[in-house]
Amino acid sequence: MAFTAPYTYIQCPCSSDPPELDPGEQAAQDAIESDDEYTFDPRAPRANYSLYPLEYLLYCEECQEIRCPKCVNEEIVTYFCPNCLFEVPSSNLRSEGNRCTRSCFQCPVCTSPVQAGEIPNEPDPTLLGADNNPAAHVSYALFCQYCNWSSSEIGIEFDRPSGIPAQLAKVKNGGEPKITAKDLKERRKENPDEPPIADNLVDTELQFANLKSFFQNQLSDSTGVLGNLSLADGAGFSSPAALSRIMTLYTAGRGQPGRQRGPPDTMREAHSTDDGLRIAKLDESAEVKKLFRGGWDETVSREQTLAQLEPARFQDELRPTQCTLRTKRSKRCAVCRHIISKPENKVASTRFKIRLVAKNYIPSISIRPLKPTASGILVGLRPNVQIEKPLKPLQPCQYIVTFTNPLFESIKVTLATPNSTPGRFSSRVTLLCPEFEVDANTDMWDDALRDDGDLKRRDDSNGQAEAGKIYERGRNWVSVVLEVIPPSLRVENLDLTAKPGEAVDKSPLKEDEDILEIPMFVRIEWEAEAQHDITGTAGRDKDAREKRELAYWCVLGVGQISHE
Amino acid sequence: MSSSSKRQSIAPSSGPKPPVNFSSSLTIPKDASLTGHHSITILAETVIHPRARIDSAQGSVLIGRRCVIQERAQLGAAPGDRTSLSSTGGITLGDYVIVEAGATIEPGGTEVSEGTFVQVGSTIGRGAKVGKNCTITPKSVVRPGEVLPDNTVVFSNGQRRTDRRRVIDVRKVALLKQINVTRKMIRSDPDKFR
Repeated sequence: MAFTAPYTYIQCPCSSDPPELDPGEQAAQDAIESDDEYTFDPRAPRANYSLYPLEYLLYCEECQEIRCPKCVNEEIVTYFCPNCLFEVPSSNLRSEGNRCTRSCFQCPVCTSPVQAGEIPNEPDPTLLGADNNPAAHVSYALFCQYCNWSSSEIGIEFDRPSGIPAQLAKVKNGGEPKITAKDLKERRKENPDEPPIADNLVDTELQFANLKSFFQNQLSDSTGVLGNLSLADGAGFSSPAALSRIMTLYTAGRGQPGRQRGPPDTMREAHSTDDGLRIAKLDESAEVKKLFRGGWDETVSREQTLAQLEPARFQDELRPTQCTLRTKRSKRCAVCRHIISKPENKVASTRFKIRLVAKNYIPSISIRPLKPTASGILVGLRPNVQIEKPLKPLQPCQYIVTFTNPLFESIKVTLATPNSTPGRFSSRVTLLCPEFEVDANTDMWDDALRDDGDLKRRDDSNGQAEAGKIYERGRNWVSVVLEVIPPSLRVENLDLTAKPGEAVDKSPLKEDEDILEIPMFVRIEWEAEAQHDITGTAGRDKDAREKRELAYWCVLGVGQISHE
Repeated sequence: MSSSSKRQSIAPSSGPKPPVNFSSSLTIPKDASLTGHHSITILAETVIHPRARIDSAQGSVLIGRRCVIQERAQLGAAPGDRTSLSSTGGITLGDYVIVEAGATIEPGGTEVSEGTFVQVGSTIGRGAKVGKNCTITPKSVVRPGEVLPDNTVVFSNGQRRTDRRRVIDVRKVALLKQINVTRKMIRSDPDKFR
């Protein structure tokens, strides 16, 4: 992802649960946990996996906690084809696989959907009277509207524009009919002495069919042997075979694989094409020749091969594939199992039945420079983003941090940042106003109708960066000022800041060390209506208010420090 | 606020009118923008949409027969781009060329040959030579000076492939239908530019 400062990421509390570590590491972890001065380090390797933009987070009302994509369980609601939006019942999935079985194909070159269309007939000037014959044979092909690929490039054309999957299953690239297992069986019936077909004619599907029938035969043979061994077979009850058979009767249900129930120990080796054996083709001279002739353009890219059902090397081996189905998923809290996000079942609907996003529960935090260096953007050139100039080292720089309250109660916010950011090059950070209150997210009109008495309360904001005072206050938002002194990025200056007797890491500047990120601990407190689900205690007093609090780490991405 | 954040007018600046050479069967509305001082030649049955911008400041512009230049398409240097005011060469479009909305064709001896389809928001760089019946898919970029052989498709962040669909005639018929419809809907006012 491109670096676009400034940004705010929030750490999901789930990642602060101690992971399962080795005993040695566990001790180190405990030491950190017990330390009250523990600061979240956004540069730690693990931090990458716990920071999310606010929009990615959900909120569990039962646990009253933030939930990230890592601490929710997903359940599939519906399967559907992204192209025809047909909802596929999950019972069909088992039999038909995870691809759309209708005429939804995607282009093997660029993956966009392809459409069946008529192949324009080229008028043959030598053929007289071609125009008088409207019933001339019309053939169809699949056309990609984006990259202009057509299935006639791989020699596949169709007689009808409908029923493409069935027609496509019958032809190989180049237009020759495909040999299926059924064809082969019939041919064998008519002509039993015919030798098995050559290896190069066997494609993956046929080989799989052969292998499947081979193993099924083997399995049915072995179960047949078991069935013949009845109890009255003369061996007597005391024979070890009978005993073990009785034992399997008792143990099989408990998930222990009974030796005789499973596949037999020895199976015959596959030794012909009919058994599904295909000998590796080591002679690649034809491919090498083709590569020489066609060059790079004739080969396929890695993405193209991965999308294919059979491995392909050259462009003419590509086949259109059916669209893979997509899913709609609901999300459950991993702790209390309550559903926190559930989309509507209908495929075309983008609405949700339940959607508890964190944006409605925790304040959104935005950061912008007090004196922006980047100029505004012309209306016609939007949405281009103007990038701020890099921060000058050792020069104080002020930022406005704005908290917007989504709740209908006013919240009390307490902030804490470390004096200096973690890392080799640490910046000095000062929050000018670490404690303040943000008004409730009331109706717009309430703000206009508010009497003067309320307005007086706003006197704490003065529009200036002053210690202990709010910078600006609005209906449901408050801005405070954050002062940063970025460090010099020179490695030789590290000596000056290092404590005596400490080893100084003087290796050259590493990746992203010039990016200034400030960890900030946010604690919000508010009074909410007590939850009434616990009947009896809360039922007595309906107006009971209860104090709630939520605390989490977040990271303010301020910008890049200049390499002066 | 600083003056740079002031919204710039997109109306044609009142500069000198370029010498024009129009066919009588041309469709050009009065709110198309023709600027520059080299000649602009537009041949028969071409349709210029409203708010298309043609600039001949760096060289003459020739647009062939039965072309379509859609709105906000930019032929020639962009309004803000006055970096090289010298005459570096113009633009030549062959017949049956469609330049879709928001596409840019930079000047400097750029050639776009017959039947090429320049799709939405794509850019053809300075002095590029685009062959016949090419397709430049939306938001694609042809680098300056690049030479594209006939039937090339530029797609997906600059990948190239050859179009083997044999649909050239079908495309031309479709383009003709498009021209016939749009010329009824756009009020032509070529006299404004003369």
